[in-house]
Amino acid sequence: MSTHDGITDRVGAFGREAVSNGWTTERFAVLGLIGLVLLAFGPTFQVYLFTEFMIIALFALAFNLLYGYTGLLSFGHAMFYAGGSYGMAIVLRDASPYVAEVVGSGIAPLVTFVLGALAGVSLVLLIAVPVGWLSVRLEEIYFALITLAFGMLVFSVIIQNPGGLTRGTDGVIVTLGITEVAGMEFRLGERRTYYFLTAAIVLPSIYAIWRVVNSPFGTVCKAIRESPDRAAALGVDVTYHRWMTFVVSAAFVGVAGVLIAGLANVASPYHAHWTTSAIPVVATVIGGATFFAGPIVGAFVFLYVRWGISRFPALEAHWEFFFGLMLIGTVLYFKQGAAGGLLMLRGWLGDVRAAYDRGGTDAALDYAKESTSERLGRGDRSAEEEGGDRE
Amino acid sequence: MTTVLETDGLTKRFGELTAVDDVTLSIGDEGVTSIIGPNGAGKTTFYNLLTGVLEPTVGTIHLREEGELVEITDAPPHEVARRGLSRSYQITNVFEGLTVRENLQVARISHDGRTMDLRSRAASDEAINEEVDRLLELMGLTEMADRPCDALSHGEKRSVEIALALAIEPTVFLLDEPTAGMNATEAREIVSLVKQLDEELAATFVVTEHNMDVVRDVSDRIVVLADGAVLADGDPEAVLTDERVTEAYLGSEAA
Repeated sequence: MSTHDGITDRVGAFGREAVSNGWTTERFAVLGLIGLVLLAFGPTFQVYLFTEFMIIALFALAFNLLYGYTGLLSFGHAMFYAGGSYGMAIVLRDASPYVAEVVGSGIAPLVTFVLGALAGVSLVLLIAVPVGWLSVRLEEIYFALITLAFGMLVFSVIIQNPGGLTRGTDGVIVTLGITEVAGMEFRLGERRTYYFLTAAIVLPSIYAIWRVVNSPFGTVCKAIRESPDRAAALGVDVTYHRWMTFVVSAAFVGVAGVLIAGLANVASPYHAHWTTSAIPVVATVIGGATFFAGPIVGAFVFLYVRWGISRFPALEAHWEFFFGLMLIGTVLYFKQGAAGGLLMLRGWLGDVRAAYDRGGTDAALDYAKESTSERLGRGDRSAEEEGGDRE
Repeated sequence: MTTVLETDGLTKRFGELTAVDDVTLSIGDEGVTSIIGPNGAGKTTFYNLLTGVLEPTVGTIHLREEGELVEITDAPPHEVARRGLSRSYQITNVFEGLTVRENLQVARISHDGRTMDLRSRAASDEAINEEVDRLLELMGLTEMADRPCDALSHGEKRSVEIALALAIEPTVFLLDEPTAGMNATEAREIVSLVKQLDEELAATFVVTEHNMDVVRDVSDRIVVLADGAVLADGDPEAVLTDERVTEAYLGSEAA
């Protein structure tokens, strides 16, 4: 091994050493946190993009609680995204003066933000409880359609501007204001401040969802996904459990909605539109619904590929086209999504590495060529098999 | 003998067709009862009525719960299960994508009424896993505990299925064609397992079965259904030599 002094050797050796020296998950988490802090000193746009990524990741992860874990594809989760967003924006607009009167103008913006967030999530619960109760009675495509219908209902209510609350197509402008604590001023809406605020809310939320998934509640969710009638025959009230999962999922989407209002500086009807409901669906399919981190990976791919494409002005207008191609590729060749793909890639790299150790660069290249064509070929063959007997 | 499951005038009609016709049965806690009959005799419909999957057109069902017969006629499947009626399926029905251990955890979580528990961790909860380990041991599944069910053989899935049904500590355990798709050796193993479980556990076993050798070996009592109605009921020897029974079977084979 020492004969090949490549960079892969050094990286590989570093990784092995790290693991053998007890570099546990916790330590890698600490590294990640340091990275997160360092990123805050990057260009403002990158900070913004990463903030958006964290929000979309939470959105998709909460959505997948219902899709990947319970087996219900909701096509109306934008209503909860908008619910959080509007709850927050309306409280900020209408309650700020009263809050300032009670707590003093110094910390009023921060207190209003917290109240807005609570209002946003409460509003989401208020919608999710009845909508979920009705929707979980249906399954599969019917569930997708009824959630789509409820989502568009919420969208049209927002457009109608009931009582002047939602301001129709303009949306509600969000001004986070200047907080003053102990003589120090800071703007909550400033990119870096908001980045840290988002991280401080999203990371614990992700941990909470992880705990939900691994709790007895989450285990029952997975069982319902696999076989609802079997779960019922073991004493599980399937409809009730789906309903509760719907509500938990919606509540976390509401948190993401609260955060997007502050980032975009507006609660927009677009947040409630069905195209917004498609974002977590697409992110989850790309990332892989069967992995906990799948939606996070998917949200990352979704936002950064879009950003990458937007770097080429000629392509920017058609970014959805390229995105569509990517989606087709994922569905055809990586049924387990990018997270599954990454695991596959790790295994494949290991195999290439083994070939390299056996016979140097040539062997590694041969193996890479062979396995790639085999993989592509297998994709074709499985399509044929599904198409019918060809024997 | 104490009655654990009782039907009175149980009838199910699908339009013109009467699938289960006025079945009045009382099943006691002694020995294994087999419910047999030619194809289309109404066995599966009868099971689906008992477990709350279907609602009867007429008639009542009672199940023993804490020393009393309680009516479960209109109870939905999950409530029937909670009251102590457990089942296995003719086509193995386990949580395919989950590991054997996770399968049993689901059953224990349900039995303990902890389906809404968001705080503990299913994988490390002692109360859940102690019982899961015991069941794995009982069914000889310990070695494959961490394998996903879709990687198991048909026979192994059957064991998981039986373990699942036992995990909720039922009063009555309905087995639907437990030897379907099995060879003679595997079928014999199932027979001795059912007889052993029936002796060791408090549960009462009710079996539907096609395989006559299995029926002869496993049953302490046989109920024959034909065209949805009870044709014969009683001691295995007497029932299996009953002319009407042979006729019903031959008739179905001729058709």
